[in-house]
Amino acid sequence: MDPRVTLLKEFSSDFIEGKAKIETDQFGFEFLEWLLSAGGALEYGELTDTRLLHKYKIVDIPEHRMDELMQLHVMKQFNVCRYFGAEKNDVLCFNMDNNHKTDNIAIIPEVSSALETLRTCLLGLGCEPLIVASGRGYHVWMRLDEPMDNTLLYEFMIATAARALLPLLVAGEDHRAVKFSFYPDVNVIDDVSLRLFGSQHVKNNAFSHVFTPGGLLDEDASWKYFEHFIRNKTTPTTTIKAALEELRKAT
Amino acid sequence: MVPNPVGLIPANTYPRIIAVDLDDTLNNFTETLQHGEFPYSPADSLSRETFEHYLQLIRNEESEPSDLMSTGFNYCRFKIHLRCWQEARARPDGVEFMQWLRRNQWRIVICTRRDMRRAHDSTRVWLQKNDIPFDYLFMAANKIAFCRAWGIKHLVDDSFFNIIHGKEHDINVYYPILPLHHSLPSHNARGFQTFDEVQRWIQE
Repeated sequence: MDPRVTLLKEFSSDFIEGKAKIETDQFGFEFLEWLLSAGGALEYGELTDTRLLHKYKIVDIPEHRMDELMQLHVMKQFNVCRYFGAEKNDVLCFNMDNNHKTDNIAIIPEVSSALETLRTCLLGLGCEPLIVASGRGYHVWMRLDEPMDNTLLYEFMIATAARALLPLLVAGEDHRAVKFSFYPDVNVIDDVSLRLFGSQHVKNNAFSHVFTPGGLLDEDASWKYFEHFIRNKTTPTTTIKAALEELRKAT
Repeated sequence: MVPNPVGLIPANTYPRIIAVDLDDTLNNFTETLQHGEFPYSPADSLSRETFEHYLQLIRNEESEPSDLMSTGFNYCRFKIHLRCWQEARARPDGVEFMQWLRRNQWRIVICTRRDMRRAHDSTRVWLQKNDIPFDYLFMAANKIAFCRAWGIKHLVDDSFFNIIHGKEHDINVYYPILPLHHSLPSHNARGFQTFDEVQRWIQE
């Protein structure tokens, strides 16, 4: 197996088995038949507003087929997006986007500012995140040493995101310019998926580079950092619970 | 490796494929939106005044001016639309038409503008409850582009854009005649009173 696929599988063991969304510029009944040929069923498809980009939500994917899809993901044939576990998860992600309707591929100052505040806040709470450029913003991932209840993870994310937006509010900036989505989100747990590391953004084909305080890493360095993160930067759940207590007291 | 890298298939590969819209085509979405009851809930994080203002805009199919993608108005609109999708009545002749398509080996694609990420479950439940058969469920803002890409020659849909532009792209568009269609500019789509007419046309 490609070591990059192994890393992606190691990253989380709580993504829902057999369920994925595929983002691709391939379409047509022949392609769909190929996509489902090794098992799985199409829940729904989508033609997006971006070029002829299509998305396919597939369920009941056999494990060997999921591995094949992941292989195609790391080969950049298409993007695989995964769904978070319904009850517990060993990863969480803040998805920060430019919330404007137009020119929303640009990283706006409000997003950069909120990202830096979020990173500082997380580090202050003893949590080291993996930050990945997502195309029109960032995915801020954390990996835990064991699965935690989704309601606790969601509460933790809501509280830290509010802290990240506070300086914008104080400065009189429009905090709504930054769109935060949370994974897992207890309100829409079965509805939304997130692109895995190693993907390319659908609008600009930009690789999901790792973003460090020193700047963006190139593709090879990003994969190395991803491996380093999995090996060395996993956050104990006790740290999250203690951070959550601190955040509750502060509010 | 992935076959068919371009994806475009010859239009005549699957001659018996049809795409059918849901809202105001197979159901009475607008009537439900206009006359349905949508009670205020404080859990939606809006004041009652704001909710009533938004509801009026949504009933009039207007939007709150904003350059943002994700807003309180958009969320409110989704929740009201979701309720309409659940409560709208299916057209009996539409249901019969869809069942006729199934009996006659047509491949049926439900093609809708609904956000399937959030509306998938309720859409599938509604289709099942009304005995409407289908093969695939797709969301597409530009249904002409979708039909052209997938080699689908027949589209049943009520939208102005599709009625006006379908023929330019070799798509036969059939639309249920609604009061708003009186202001349509010239076009080559076919308006129908009952789905029996569509059944006849697609066999020509």
